[in-house]
Amino acid sequence: MTGGVRARWFPNGEWIVLLALAGEVALFSAVARNFATVGNFFEVTRLSVELGLLAIAMTPVVVTGGIDLSVGSMMGLAAVVFGAAYRDGHLPIAAAAILALLVGVAGGSLNALLIARFRILPIIVTLGTFSLFRGIAEGMTQAAVNYTGFPAQFVALGQGYLWGVIPAQLPVFVVVFAAYVVLLHRSVVGRGWYAVGFGASGARYAGIPVARRIALAYVLSGLMSSLAALVYVAHLGQAKSDAGLGYELDAITAVVLGGTSVFGGRGTMWGTLVGLAALAVLRNGLHLAALPSELTGVLTGTLLVATIALDRVRSRARRTANVYSTGDVAPEGLAASPQHPGEALAGLDASAAEDTVKNSQVAVLCAAVLGGALLVAGTNVWLVRSLVPPGRPSDAAGPAAPSQARRPVVAMMPKAKGDPYFVSCRAGAEEAAKELGVELIWDGPTSLDAARQNELVENWITRKVDVIAVAVENRGGISSVLRKARDRGIHVVTWDSDADPDARDFFVNQATSEGIGNTLTDEAARILGGKGEFAVITGALSAANQNEWIAFIRKRLAAKYPDLKLATIRPSDDDRDKAFSETQTIMRVFPAVRLVMAISAPAVPGSAEAVRQANRHDVNVIGLSLPNINKPYVHDGWVQTVVLWNTRDLGYLTVLAGARLAREGIPPGTPAIEAGRLGTIQIRGTEIVLGAPTMFTKANIDKFDF
Amino acid sequence: MLKRHRRETSIALVIVALGLVLAGVAPAYFASDNLQDLFLGNMPALIVALGATLVILTGNIDISAGSMFAICGVVAGVVGKGGAPMPVVALSACLAGAALGALNGALVAYVRIPSVVVTLATMVALRDGLRWVTQGTWVQDLPSGFQWFGLSQGTYPFVAAAVVIVLQAGLGWGMRNLAAGRAVYATGSNEHAARLAGFDTARITSSVFALAGALTGLGALLNSVRFNQIPSNAGIGLEMKVIAAAVVGGAAISGGQGSVAGTLLGVVLLGAVGPALTFLGVNAYWERALQGAIILAAVTIDAVREGSDRRRAREVLAGAA
Repeated sequence: MTGGVRARWFPNGEWIVLLALAGEVALFSAVARNFATVGNFFEVTRLSVELGLLAIAMTPVVVTGGIDLSVGSMMGLAAVVFGAAYRDGHLPIAAAAILALLVGVAGGSLNALLIARFRILPIIVTLGTFSLFRGIAEGMTQAAVNYTGFPAQFVALGQGYLWGVIPAQLPVFVVVFAAYVVLLHRSVVGRGWYAVGFGASGARYAGIPVARRIALAYVLSGLMSSLAALVYVAHLGQAKSDAGLGYELDAITAVVLGGTSVFGGRGTMWGTLVGLAALAVLRNGLHLAALPSELTGVLTGTLLVATIALDRVRSRARRTANVYSTGDVAPEGLAASPQHPGEALAGLDASAAEDTVKNSQVAVLCAAVLGGALLVAGTNVWLVRSLVPPGRPSDAAGPAAPSQARRPVVAMMPKAKGDPYFVSCRAGAEEAAKELGVELIWDGPTSLDAARQNELVENWITRKVDVIAVAVENRGGISSVLRKARDRGIHVVTWDSDADPDARDFFVNQATSEGIGNTLTDEAARILGGKGEFAVITGALSAANQNEWIAFIRKRLAAKYPDLKLATIRPSDDDRDKAFSETQTIMRVFPAVRLVMAISAPAVPGSAEAVRQANRHDVNVIGLSLPNINKPYVHDGWVQTVVLWNTRDLGYLTVLAGARLAREGIPPGTPAIEAGRLGTIQIRGTEIVLGAPTMFTKANIDKFDF
Repeated sequence: MLKRHRRETSIALVIVALGLVLAGVAPAYFASDNLQDLFLGNMPALIVALGATLVILTGNIDISAGSMFAICGVVAGVVGKGGAPMPVVALSACLAGAALGALNGALVAYVRIPSVVVTLATMVALRDGLRWVTQGTWVQDLPSGFQWFGLSQGTYPFVAAAVVIVLQAGLGWGMRNLAAGRAVYATGSNEHAARLAGFDTARITSSVFALAGALTGLGALLNSVRFNQIPSNAGIGLEMKVIAAAVVGGAAISGGQGSVAGTLLGVVLLGAVGPALTFLGVNAYWERALQGAIILAAVTIDAVREGSDRRRAREVLAGAA
């Protein structure tokens, strides 16, 4: 009977996800370029190893009815410890790696102690260690230190290939996966995990050492997080405190998608593998099909709800059928004693419930969810089509479509898509694409994320675009991938911030970090008359650009303005509201501060609003931001100066340089290029220089609209 | 009385201790201006946390609050920019929140998907959906009557305080004395038993989610009107903050245990700590670690006390037998 086969192989409805995965593969094979190739298959596996390790270790944790939110933060901590031990502690690389793994075990043990011994709910404990681990990593490194310069053999673990095709980290994943399959499905320990998840009190009466079993799951989870951190460091070639940021949610998504119940007691390693594949393929396929990254979140959420809803409906139908033959196996034991972590969420166990709704209602809801998803996907495809500049067969009437057989494809990546700064760059990029008749793919991470940037470049290489233009978040990490792109004959341009010089053809340089630091410091000194105190509000504490600017600001202060004192540096996390309250606190704690220098685009209006509401006319605000969001404050005199280059022109020039490279090439030594509406633009070596930063003040700010 | 509100009293003690340290080292912390700023800064989180507490009381969890917060703020801004009067703006923000909350609630209560999964999905989907729709642009050029609800900067804090007091007192009283409030506790303590006792637990759960959504909308609205433009990336990490506040304030994730008063104390503690560390001269780079340590310390102390209680209870029972 098919039902029996299904129950044997897919006890938790994994077949639904498998179907979804098959659907994804079929869809992307049809719409995405170079999706169904062996090379791409291995690229997908390479990019999901770190996440996969976390998801594998998360599975037993969830099977016991727990959850581990601290895995991403543990990656950050282990990465930083590893980097510090190798570079500052001068340990051999193997010793540093062992130390990092020990840190993972220690962190996992802390979770285990609090959960298994003190019986605190896992979600609370790991919410605490989620902050604690990341916090220690940030504190150790002042969030700024970026450990690089690891030996080539180690980096090969993350970037190299075995026999030319298999990513080097894949065997690590396979070994860990196999070990976990044995542990969970073929060992006493695994049976214990299931028993604990199904009912801790029952397990205890059956003689299972409940606390020890639970503890083991968390300790192993810590260990795997640190192993994932090592792979991550090798993959990116850098260790920084923001490693693994946000990975915990992706890992949990993969586990839950794979049919593991968050109430504990059921779930398989195979399910997790399928869930992981569904996530990874979705992300990869969207990139190759040049659909925007935001769709990943929307579709992941929909997939998650839809698969589990389907599973619920199905299992309910089965339960209704069984109720009379087997009697009600109400898991009262599960819900009875909420003091044990194994039963953390048992109070809401759905399997205990009678049906209070009709299947038809469920079906309507599911249909609504799926319909909504299709609507989003559909409108989006339409929107993307409409954004692509003219020149397609259906759009032949478009203006100035060059009569070339094939239009070059320029793939351009900002550091973060939602950032207003990059949004305004995009406008210029699209303008140039339209004017020159090139096809522009604009995509990037939705928030600052070096690993996602690498992944996207890899995907673009697979897609075989003509030009890749990247605003580099992490120089060391991305350069190796960009070199690979150049080897495959793709032109590489960097913009906004540079990669290693040999990893790109040209760098479209808007202003150097030193230039920005000096301009801001000089402006502060001018306003304060060369002496007094000022405070800096930065973006996230770990933001690479801002840390570089701060370093140059300090240098300039030491060299030129001994009487100017930097009182404090506070983070805003690129959140306007946080910049607002930080500025309020600064004005109270440091009453001598006469100037706030905000170096993140949303922070300047936040600081300005705080100064305005406090009515402190003696405090000045300057910073690096966009004219539009600051106009009201500049006009009312709360913000003195906003420093920035013309971001629209930056986007325009980048696409123009890319198109020129793809069409006729720019021979080395060219002194200047004709850049459309920008006139003649100078080239210095391999740097295309946009010009000096603009100072936006009351006098000129209205002339700019971005 | 003290025993029943043990978590609340422990947190209150921690707050008092922190206050004493501050009074000694940095008395400027208690300047009325600073306290007013702290209140306004934490008020949105408090309102969202009240909703989160109700959800936790039913034995569920809502991690989509941060994404909903951003959406409701943008909705308020767009409606306000369209020239609608402020009451309509307020209503639309709350309704947007209630609608999104009701979606969560329906999926949890009727389709019976675990709330962690539902709200994890909506958190990611709503956040990326908003990013996609707004493309990161802010809502700007709001009418002058938008900021401060058209009131002055001086009177707005009183209005906000009134709203918070009414909410806090109303929910505190209602959860204790109204049938609806008791039904929430009953659902969270033991859903099966509550259903057998005649409660429509599915309706209770879904309404609580909708109410929490509406409160998130209200919080977003009261936050938006403090400014004259609305960013589209607000509320990132807010869900963790409010859940931490509720849990530190004594709400049990397994449901049925906790109070809105405890949540108030949790918000006060977590909201006061950040600026307090600046006042005490702690380097920003260590703040996150300290916050994590404080959460862990609070729940560990509690667990240890509870453990010794259990032992004592067992001894008493053994003696009786």
